[in-house]
Amino acid sequence: MANHSQFGFQDASSPIMEELVEFHDHALMVALAICSLVLYLLTLMLMEKLSSNTVDAQEVELIWTILPAIVLILLALPSLQILYMMDEIDEPDLTLKAIGHQWYWSYEYTDFKDLTFDSYMIPTAELPPGHFRLLEVDHRVVVPMESPIRIIVTADDVLHSWAVPSLGVKTDAIPGRLNQTSFITARPGIFYGQCSEICGANHSYMPIVVESTPLAHFESWSTLLSS
Amino acid sequence: MWICKDVCQSFKLLGFLDVQSVPCARESVLYGSLGSLVVGLGHFLATSRVRRSCDFAVGGFICTMLGYWFYCRYNLAQQRIRQRMLKEGMRNKILFEGSSLDPERKQTGNERSDS
Repeated sequence: MANHSQFGFQDASSPIMEELVEFHDHALMVALAICSLVLYLLTLMLMEKLSSNTVDAQEVELIWTILPAIVLILLALPSLQILYMMDEIDEPDLTLKAIGHQWYWSYEYTDFKDLTFDSYMIPTAELPPGHFRLLEVDHRVVVPMESPIRIIVTADDVLHSWAVPSLGVKTDAIPGRLNQTSFITARPGIFYGQCSEICGANHSYMPIVVESTPLAHFESWSTLLSS
Repeated sequence: MWICKDVCQSFKLLGFLDVQSVPCARESVLYGSLGSLVVGLGHFLATSRVRRSCDFAVGGFICTMLGYWFYCRYNLAQQRIRQRMLKEGMRNKILFEGSSLDPERKQTGNERSDS
């Protein structure tokens, strides 16, 4: 989860999020180089006397065409690589559905057993000590770790968005439409997210909690819940 | 490789690049500064032209910084791949050790049958 006053990304918990963080660092470094150059040119311009001696500017025009093209290539290539990586569809081990309602999420695991449950936020007054305010839910989404998971997101009433930042997942929940995304959790743990599309009065109070566990624990959880 | 998390205060270059927590950033900026100094000073000593030497210094900074950045990130990516392969290998060894799927057992079995 995010700490208070956190400005950067949360720690990556999926391979895609790791790639996104690396790309972000790369883009920032390119941005630093460009900003340094612009700062230097600005300083030069401010120190120069204004003159109208320039007749033609073939060289500088060539430079300021080629340089931005190089910058765009430096940014576009890794970006496209990650974009296509995100769209790769491996054979998922598990498919689950997330349905957005006002103002809670419901999940359906219908691969092997008919397992359906609602996930409501735990109100602050009922929160046990040490738990996270506005983030904890009564029923978490449990998934097996290091397995490709496909999640189909839709909504029952208005627009919602199923987002878990540390997994690099954000998918709009649109009534009447099924949106598909997939992720792999790289390690066991609990990953928090919040609804990311304005959906009414309690939009801020419908969090998402994904619990990644070893397969044996996932199987015993699903058996327990379906019985 | 220097990565500073939680313990050190963040230092953001130009207000946005946290050189403490981004891998390779600190070294890139430091090497870039060194490159800038070397190129700029060298050009000035050779030509005594201040303005052009400053241009070369800035160009040297950008080129050295980006050059080291790509080199460092490439090595980091290779290291990460090796870590993943090692992790996978260790897990497979623990999982399959002593079983019929143990590759070391198959290898030993082949050596015995050859002898």
